[in-house]
Amino acid sequence: MRVLTMAKAINDALDVGLEKDSHVLIMGEDVGRTGGVFRITDGLQEKYGEERVIDTPVAESGIVGVAFGLAVAGMRPVAELQFMGFSYPAFDQVINHVSRIRNRSRHRFTAPMVIRIPYGGGIGAAEHHSESAEAIYAHTPGLKVVVPSTPYDAKGLLLAAIADPDPVVFCEPIRLYRAVKEDVPEGWYEVPIGQARVEREGSDVTLLSWGAMMLETRKAADRLAEEGVASEVIDVRSLVPFDAATVVASVEKTGRAVIVHEAPRTAGFGAEIAATIAEHCLYSLEAPVRRVTGWDSVFPLKRSEHQYLPSVERIVAAAHQTLEA
Amino acid sequence: MRQRLTPSGGLQGEAPIDLQLTRRLYRAMVFARTYDRKGMALQKQGRLATYAPFEGQEAAQIGAAAALDPNDWVVATYRDAALMWAQGYPWELLFAGRTGDERGGSPPEHVPVLPPSITVGGHMVHAVGLAWAEKLQGTSRIALTSFGDGATSEGDFHEAMNFAAVFEVPCVFLCQNNGWAISLPRERQTKSATIADKAVAYGMPGVQVDGNDLFAVYEVVKEAADRARSGGGPTLVEAVTYRRGPHTTSDDPSRYRDQAEVEEWARRDPLERVRIYLAENGAWDAEWQAAIEAEAQAEIDRAIELAERMPPLGPGEILDAMFETPPPHLEAQRRELVEGLQ
Amino acid sequence: MAHEFRLPDIGEGLTEAEIVRWVVPIGGYVGMDETVVEVETDKAVVEIPSPYAGIVLHHGAAEGEVIEVGDVLVVIGEEGETWPPGAEASEPGDAQAGIPPEPASEPEPSVPPEAAEEEPAPIVGTLPQEAEVLPSRAEATERPPARVKALPVVRKLARELGVDLATVTGTGPEGRITREDVLAVADGAQPQAVPTPVPPVPQPAQRTVPAGARPEPERRPLTKLRRTIAANMSESWATVPHVTTFDEVDATRLLAMRAALARRHERKIPMEALVVKAVTPVLAAFPEFNATLEGDELVVHRRYDIGVAVDTPDGLLVAVIRNADRRSVLGLADEVTRLGSAAKERKLGVDELSGQTFTVSNIGAVGGGFGTPIVPPGTTAILSVGRAVDKPVARDGRVEIAPLLPLSLSYDHRVIDGALGRRFMAMLIENLEEPGLFLAD
Repeated sequence: MRVLTMAKAINDALDVGLEKDSHVLIMGEDVGRTGGVFRITDGLQEKYGEERVIDTPVAESGIVGVAFGLAVAGMRPVAELQFMGFSYPAFDQVINHVSRIRNRSRHRFTAPMVIRIPYGGGIGAAEHHSESAEAIYAHTPGLKVVVPSTPYDAKGLLLAAIADPDPVVFCEPIRLYRAVKEDVPEGWYEVPIGQARVEREGSDVTLLSWGAMMLETRKAADRLAEEGVASEVIDVRSLVPFDAATVVASVEKTGRAVIVHEAPRTAGFGAEIAATIAEHCLYSLEAPVRRVTGWDSVFPLKRSEHQYLPSVERIVAAAHQTLEA
Repeated sequence: MRQRLTPSGGLQGEAPIDLQLTRRLYRAMVFARTYDRKGMALQKQGRLATYAPFEGQEAAQIGAAAALDPNDWVVATYRDAALMWAQGYPWELLFAGRTGDERGGSPPEHVPVLPPSITVGGHMVHAVGLAWAEKLQGTSRIALTSFGDGATSEGDFHEAMNFAAVFEVPCVFLCQNNGWAISLPRERQTKSATIADKAVAYGMPGVQVDGNDLFAVYEVVKEAADRARSGGGPTLVEAVTYRRGPHTTSDDPSRYRDQAEVEEWARRDPLERVRIYLAENGAWDAEWQAAIEAEAQAEIDRAIELAERMPPLGPGEILDAMFETPPPHLEAQRRELVEGLQ
Repeated sequence: MAHEFRLPDIGEGLTEAEIVRWVVPIGGYVGMDETVVEVETDKAVVEIPSPYAGIVLHHGAAEGEVIEVGDVLVVIGEEGETWPPGAEASEPGDAQAGIPPEPASEPEPSVPPEAAEEEPAPIVGTLPQEAEVLPSRAEATERPPARVKALPVVRKLARELGVDLATVTGTGPEGRITREDVLAVADGAQPQAVPTPVPPVPQPAQRTVPAGARPEPERRPLTKLRRTIAANMSESWATVPHVTTFDEVDATRLLAMRAALARRHERKIPMEALVVKAVTPVLAAFPEFNATLEGDELVVHRRYDIGVAVDTPDGLLVAVIRNADRRSVLGLADEVTRLGSAAKERKLGVDELSGQTFTVSNIGAVGGGFGTPIVPPGTTAILSVGRAVDKPVARDGRVEIAPLLPLSLSYDHRVIDGALGRRFMAMLIENLEEPGLFLAD
């Protein structure tokens, strides 16, 4: 065991993947010689060569479309799109081709590939660099969508994604790359895609989140605990498939739910979770479900970021609202 | 523009293929035309969904496929049935796709042809990936992608050409420049004098060829395929041809183009010039023509019968090919769907 | 054989087309996939190829006329055939065989001029052919009366306790009904306008502990439902002087009829359906059994809302069949089945769990025989039906074996005296022994 940051854990997963399966390729802008804009792929080209860790032209649609062709022909490409906002030029490839080749060929052709997308705000980046568009991918049938919030999960989920027979959009919370450290085992291990993680058990209110917002959610749970409120904290971590069973069981127990995400509220994935709770747990609810989310605004630039991102205070206040109902 | 057979059947230079293969490819073009005309008729009888005819483009498609190895990847469009069939895709599955059935997109295991691309342009990049994978895996397979003149305006044309050239992947880009992208003429599609010219910008060879000339198309695509196979990287082939029919059965070309133009191109028919060539070389007679037409009709009739006899997907089967293993939410939706149908 | 070829929707959202020209006249030959007619859609003139080879027997419309998608466009058959089969060749509008039809001298102005101005069809796909007419948005909808405010979890609790939320005063924020409000009503601390009766429940067998061992007894708090049942039972037992009368019914014919119905309709016929059907005419004849005692007044109901007891995992509930007198045996069977499964899935609304005028409890379903059912509050009587058991009976001077159905009728002795009770029972027995009597209703 080594204590690793999420950045190192993802690098480790890629290393283990490249080592284990010669069909695995890393491709993307600047992933080779410089090791990626976040240094996630640092050292991998040196170790595995230019044919397996490939610096591509600046062409997101091309990266995803070429990776698609590579995958159909038997390779296991892991494509990196530098920022979520830069994944939009590749929508046509992801939505029209990657997500549906299995269905349009009735299993004859498949695209087992991973699209890694650093995402989310809180680092004072330039415009287009702080987006949280995970719901768009989750809304696209045929894709799996995962979001780790810990180094252990990041490595285990990425290896599960590499091994997965279907395309996986792997959202990496930029703010967590170096903000959390954890014991990470060496070698290959997988965290199953499709399972939420109950990070903390509690009986009063269920706090649900994923990605970087797990930081604030954990702090909010600490704050509530000081008040004597026992929160159950769930890291959703897999949006598709979504682990409804774990969420339903928790909310049936606590009767209260607060959903936290940094993506805009309207049609965010929190709405899907709230609907699932309404469908399955309505008669267990002690209070209306609350969402603490980013606003329906363009992600603000550095000086106003704090207005946008859900804060510990907002999460605690929402929990209070559910407790007072 | 490379030409080997003039519209009147005159041979320019040497024939790239012998008479036996020429007869086989002529027969294939007759099959293709029979399929295409049947497709138009079936659509007007309400038996196929929208149909996009390729009449007039038979030489470009059959000639290109003939230059490939049976293992080579083909990534083509909704107007490329002849090309796909020549590479092994069964007629009945091509029909099945047009009747509105996903199983039409599922060719047999040994057929290296992706289901036809419906969106314009995105599929060219896939061919680059497929070709690259073969290169990385050390096989001798290449990929050919077919697209129209309209697709060259798409961003993915640029990304595909650029990737292919930078990584020297064994890919042939076959543009069937048929003059029209629905209602937009080739002159309004690009300011380039030719589409083949665009290859220069990517650092790859670009060749313009008479797309209604079976010999010239075969020869040019063969050169491109050989170059790709021997490590020479990609080539752009512009096959100049003409869309004699409407864009699809829902289109009315009289709104935007002169009938005179269509008639002019009918005189450059890709089948007729091969027929004359064969006849002049004692390799064609009316009896053989009647025989292959009857054969083609029988095969196409059998194909539509097979396609129409296929029962539609059963209740809930639309959810069965989203993932290798359906996750719980899809299983739940499948139950809901099936119950709702009962 | 003649084939009809109907104008297809050729995938462009076509709804109709005008006949431009008949390429093949009636009596003429058309080959497979050869053009038979030219039609004009709102986008283009289209040559329609024939899906059959043969003689054109009929044109669906004359040149210049408009034909709808799905209408017969052309009929193709064999030489000598007519269409429709057996009809004379001289159909109105049809020309003689072999001669091209003449255009109608006065073309019918059946082409609506708007046709040309319709929405352009899409390049691919099929548009629905008839537009749904949406309701006008101008009319403002009337605001419905304010609903009861309560959290789902409180609604669920109320349903379990048989508390009608409409009768509860909310003490929470904005008048919201809280869990405590519901519990108060269930415990009787807060008066409820419409009491919800609960039928008798079999008591769990008492367990004896050997003396000397003296293990600590287990103390089980009563569930809310059980507490409500207890309160209702106590109230009824304390205020209603109960009389119970017992009898047995020869159910030979009833069971035979039930079996026959089940066979004919391939479904289960719950015993309750038959008993309810048999008892409603008796209630009509003896209205005291379909009544509520309020102070010094007997409120005689003119409706026959019969409660049936349903065993659920949470306890026994009474589900109410509204207007039972107006339902057939099959209709009652439907309702009993529906209420039973809805009760088990806890999907019954408050209005389906209260307000019965008489109650039938089928304890036969759990093997019961005779019992002393407790009259639910708000009613005057309850009938308990046990399981039919084969017993010797004297019939025409001989002993025969017959299925006997045990009946136990409890009633409020303040309202009903013994003689009335016997007469009620006698008529009920007559009905059950001769099902034809109540089926006639």
